Amino acid sequence: MKSINKLVQQDGAIQDRSIFWDEDIYQKEMEEIFARCWLFLTHESIIPDDGDYQATTMGEDSVVVARQNDGSIKAFVNSCTHRGNAVCFSDGGNAKAFTCPYHGWVFGMDGSLVDVPLEKQAYHNEIDKDALHLKKVRVESYKGFVFGTFDEDAPSLKDYLGGMAWYMDSFMDVPGGCELIGPPMKSILDCNWKNPTENFIGDGYHVGWAHASALEISGGPLAVAKGNAVYDAETSGLQVTVPEGHGFGIIWEAAAALHPGPVQEAYQKWIDERSPVVREKMDEHREKFYRGHWDAAIFPNCSFLYGTNTFKMWQPRGPHSIEVFTWTLVEKEMPEELKQMIHTDNMLTFGTAGILESDDGENMEQCTQSNKGYSTRQGTLYIGMGQGHEYLDPELPGLVSKGWVNEAPQRGMYRRWAEFMEGKPWSELSTTAQLEQKK
Amino acid sequence: MSTNNQQAGQSVDQSTHFEVERFLVQEARALDEERFDDWLGGMLTKDIIYQLPTQEVRYRKDKKVLGNSQTTYLYNDNFGMLSMRVARLDTGIVWAEDPRVRNRRIISNIDAHWADVDGEIEVRSAFVLFRSRMQRDQATHYGIRMDRLRKEDGQWKLASRVITLDQRVVLDKNIHCFF
Repeated sequence: MKSINKLVQQDGAIQDRSIFWDEDIYQKEMEEIFARCWLFLTHESIIPDDGDYQATTMGEDSVVVARQNDGSIKAFVNSCTHRGNAVCFSDGGNAKAFTCPYHGWVFGMDGSLVDVPLEKQAYHNEIDKDALHLKKVRVESYKGFVFGTFDEDAPSLKDYLGGMAWYMDSFMDVPGGCELIGPPMKSILDCNWKNPTENFIGDGYHVGWAHASALEISGGPLAVAKGNAVYDAETSGLQVTVPEGHGFGIIWEAAAALHPGPVQEAYQKWIDERSPVVREKMDEHREKFYRGHWDAAIFPNCSFLYGTNTFKMWQPRGPHSIEVFTWTLVEKEMPEELKQMIHTDNMLTFGTAGILESDDGENMEQCTQSNKGYSTRQGTLYIGMGQGHEYLDPELPGLVSKGWVNEAPQRGMYRRWAEFMEGKPWSELSTTAQLEQKK
Repeated sequence: MSTNNQQAGQSVDQSTHFEVERFLVQEARALDEERFDDWLGGMLTKDIIYQLPTQEVRYRKDKKVLGNSQTTYLYNDNFGMLSMRVARLDTGIVWAEDPRVRNRRIISNIDAHWADVDGEIEVRSAFVLFRSRMQRDQATHYGIRMDRLRKEDGQWKLASRVITLDQRVVLDKNIHCFF
């Protein structure tokens, strides 16, 4: 493995192609990124009752996240401490305990070992059950979104989100908050996990071209972007990258723009009614962000489109493969009918059978697979669009760029990637707070 | 017109079964050959409901509906949405379908009964859909379809379809293909 400053150069604009292919780099990512970062697990609204649980993965580690009888949420590794077998085989549900199908060890919904068969006769009552707790995951929520980390030294989830939290409050902190509609769709892509993350975090550039066919038939306000026919960098939107590696691009006044006719009308009406509430609760900036369409990612592998309202996890499955989990993001206080309309549209656009999703899949895969070639892999890749034009805004956290077609959030993501891969302790990782001091 | 041998739940007669089978085979062929306008215009009713629910892996005894969860769908389309999908494929600028994806549908285990609406038929059929892309990219999908057929202008047409895809994790980069 080359040194990190060779793998990512020019402030994130140049990446060595090996970071999308090499097994040793992937294993290093599992250690330095996926075993340390806060990773999205589920939403509180999906597991409201005592004993409700969801199974998911953190990197390639299988975990279960469960509601406890005191209302708190805990998570643990889905692997028996006896011989390593899985103890949960379902997507989720409601349970009082998990029993390992191999020897019958029973674990509580908090991951504690509560019963072993033949404890007296075969273990002579000498087994230390407390020490055989399932491996614990640290859990915290932000506005109902539940994240987990394996790193006891990690900062709070709120600090981890840094400046991104302020922006995400625009929709996460509306009265009643948000919820996710599940169960999630699951599909596969033979690509590296970073390809779709960088696509969602800031690749407005591909929209007019890759999605030209869908834009043409959707006929909504975004149809003008088809073939990059119309684009005004000054007035169309912004891109933001925060030092914590998260980022997004926003198209002003376009939250509902990708929804076809009747849904767009109903959703726009909702947005118009809610906007004053957002302004009053937060400020005019957040009202503006609430009304825009976002492409966004929370480092390392959680992505969403606010407005279209698709919410995704790109679960790594080796250096060249991922599983895609897709939920629909809605506001809890929306009328049920509107939630259903948005959900149906999300399936139509960014679901597994979605008319925009299917544009992206082939691109993601080939961006990874081309690096299989040894000589190809010796080269580098370039995302220098708009570099040097990022600026500090007195009122907005992070680094801001004009226009939604830019590559600043991708560069921010790779800068963060490099910081983690260098194995820096949390105290030496960049933060939004440090950046704010430069203003 | 309801007669004794068209009672709801009864298997259709041999000649009707032949018509149903011909319809399903011809529909599969139209889709294999990308004759989407023939499919949309000639084989579907305007009030069609076309659904593919998300598969979920649950323990047999655990029936609890979680929180706000519900049946989610990969397809939950009406005629207008299916028309959008076809219109997109017809734009000529769908890069992921150019070069074309070669789709091959095998329809079998056809079981047709008279439905609870006069003259309508419920058909259960098993399918295998083989998808071949580019040089050696392969995906296989299989499951069952519950269809409702209705005769309009002397032609059988598809009035609803509910597709069960057996895989939980869809082992494909997309399923923007009709089942």
